[in-house]
Amino acid sequence: MADRLIDYRGLKCPYPILKLSATYPNFKEGEIVEVLGDCPTFEKDIKAWCSKLGKTILNLEKHGNTIKVTIRI
Amino acid sequence: MIDNQYHCPEGGFLECKNFFCEHGQRLSEILHLCSDIIEKIGKGDTSPKIDLKVERYAVQRLIDSINKLREEIESLIDLNHGLAIGICEHFEVLRKLQKGNFSVKASEDSPIEIVRMLGALINKQRDRFIEYIDRIKTQHKDILELYEQQNMILSSVGVAIIVVEEDMTIEFANDEFEMLTGYSKREIEGKMKWTEFFTEEMLDKMIEYHKLRRISPSLAPRQYSSKIKDRSGQIKEVLMNVAMIPYTKKSIASIIDMTERKKIEEQLIHSQKMESLGVLSGKIAHEFNNVLTSILGFATLLESKAEDETLKGYTVRIIESCQRAKSFVKNLLTFSRKEEIGEIKRLNLKEYLANFQGFIEPLVGSDIKVMLKLPEKEIFYKIEPTHLEVILMNLITNARDAMPDGGEITLSLKEISLDTEYHFTHPLIKPGLYVMLCVTDTGKGMDEETKSRIFEPFFTTKPKGKGTGLGLSTVFGLIKQYGGHIHVYSEVGKGTTFKIYLPQTEKDFSSIDRESLKGKEVLLVVDDETNTRQYIASLLRDYGYEVYEATNGNEALEIYEKIKDRVSLCLVDLVMPGMTGLELMKKLRQISPSIKTILMSGYPVQFKDIVSIEKTLSGDEILYKLREILNEKE
Ligand SMILES: Nc1ncnc2c1ncn2[C@@H]1O[C@H](COP(=O)(O)OP(=O)(O)OP(=O)(O)O)[C@@H](O)[C@H]1O
Ligand SMILES: [Mg+2]
Repeated sequence: MADRLIDYRGLKCPYPILKLSATYPNFKEGEIVEVLGDCPTFEKDIKAWCSKLGKTILNLEKHGNTIKVTIRI
Repeated sequence: MIDNQYHCPEGGFLECKNFFCEHGQRLSEILHLCSDIIEKIGKGDTSPKIDLKVERYAVQRLIDSINKLREEIESLIDLNHGLAIGICEHFEVLRKLQKGNFSVKASEDSPIEIVRMLGALINKQRDRFIEYIDRIKTQHKDILELYEQQNMILSSVGVAIIVVEEDMTIEFANDEFEMLTGYSKREIEGKMKWTEFFTEEMLDKMIEYHKLRRISPSLAPRQYSSKIKDRSGQIKEVLMNVAMIPYTKKSIASIIDMTERKKIEEQLIHSQKMESLGVLSGKIAHEFNNVLTSILGFATLLESKAEDETLKGYTVRIIESCQRAKSFVKNLLTFSRKEEIGEIKRLNLKEYLANFQGFIEPLVGSDIKVMLKLPEKEIFYKIEPTHLEVILMNLITNARDAMPDGGEITLSLKEISLDTEYHFTHPLIKPGLYVMLCVTDTGKGMDEETKSRIFEPFFTTKPKGKGTGLGLSTVFGLIKQYGGHIHVYSEVGKGTTFKIYLPQTEKDFSSIDRESLKGKEVLLVVDDETNTRQYIASLLRDYGYEVYEATNGNEALEIYEKIKDRVSLCLVDLVMPGMTGLELMKKLRQISPSIKTILMSGYPVQFKDIVSIEKTLSGDEILYKLREILNEKE
């Protein structure tokens, strides 16, 4: 179960990763976060973000335009 | 697929009036496609391209423009994403650095130059930080070491020292202050106020100084005499030396106990006085001796030549007087230490004194009882028997003279070891092993005035013709020749004790029972020098001990951990690479506080509370010392 859900639907890339960078330092280390986004480049962005910042992607699901990524912070 | 072969006979798609025209359908499809693509581009999806060629120039231009727009927007979006991910990444690194995690590094591989440069800048800044931190760390270590050194200095200067805070709380006190006051550091530091040590009469003055010093250090005297009271309430005269510690409101005070100082000073002055008297009387005696020799020579000549009996009689009297004078001179020369001592044999002091008793009893008369206190074991000492006789005879006749109505004389002999502490109060006496001879009487005693002058030549309180005043000065001179010391304790009306300390330079082992040097205890010998270690270990094994050997501190600790329940004593070398002997002894004490240790060194050393031996000592001496320590009660 995720500890929190962040909804970035309706936001254009690269806003979601900029916002995530700014908010996640308040989370506890090891917390599991679900991030929603529907921008076409969201998947590419979030994957790059995770690899550059050393976070693990636990799961990635697509529901139509919406992508749900589960990340361990 | 749109077939671009189509031609509109009506003159163009856009103006087509034919509702049913199939080309009209085509055109609207193309326009819908264009709209879809523009919409996608607007959302940021730049993947689709329009791959169409149409005849109609206007339409083809639209398609080309859309493709161009897509391309441009794509590169803008790439830039945007590159910047965003770069910022996220650098932000993360900066955040970690800020939290003190210096293991992170910013990446320098972004395709965007400015992001790359930012990464490089962050890394440079990080390296600079690490450099500063390292520098601070070494400085911190230096400061700690300095602090430790400072503490070591303060605790070993040999003067009582305290550090006092503004509110008079004593923050630091050294060993000497403990000794001076009788309180322990644990009771004092951070708990007691300096005012608690002031005497009533000094309280106001010292508080005033304390305050003044904090307003302006030059207003309060740096040095002043004062009085303090110790734990038992005893008042001590002290000399204070106070200064402010820079950058603080704390002051540091050294406190010298003047009562002790005065005593020591008196001893020094006395010895200097005796020294100059010695020089002076030596010169006089020498000149005088020359004169006497010629008088005696001529008188002897005269005696043999004189025929008149009366004249002859006078000459004989002259000769006799000269001989008496010669013996005075001899005494004076002894006092001034001009007499050389030749090769001396070892004397069994115990035996000598036992025989001596019979010799003195008739001398002192029946009113005076002579008692002997001799040790069980034999004590040997290299001394000329006639010298010892002169010393004892003088002390005993003086004792007799002090007891005209009878009393007791006690003669005692023992071997004692004077430690460093004794050396503090008697700076002229070196610590070490001594033979002590005591002559005590129950006579009339002496007042301070007399006591301070008794060793001066010609000082006497006896009536003219009775005493020459050379007795004690001769004794003094003789004892000095042997490197010894003489002390007087006297109370008017009660009696007097003369204590003679003769230094035991070498232990005489011929009198020692070899069996008594043996033992079965378990010992640990620590020395990095293989030869010494093996020599000592095998010596100890020969005498029955079970010996473990270690070549350095760490090895010693390892071995000790395993056998600590059985080890009785550790012999530790002072100078070893790595852990020094003293450090090792400290660590051993941490493991077992009651552990017995002996420090071995190549040269004579003195440490507080530590038994040490020189490695150059003979095997017997080492064994003897070892037995002494082992036999001591815990
Ligand atoms: N045991 C003693 N008790 C009291 N006073 C002593 C004692 N021994 C020495 N004195 C004092 O010290 C003085 C000096 O002694 P010292 O032996 O040098 O000379 P003396 O005995 O007076 O003369 P001498 O020994 O030359 O006959 C003595 O006159 C005496 O006042
Ligand atoms: Mg005398």
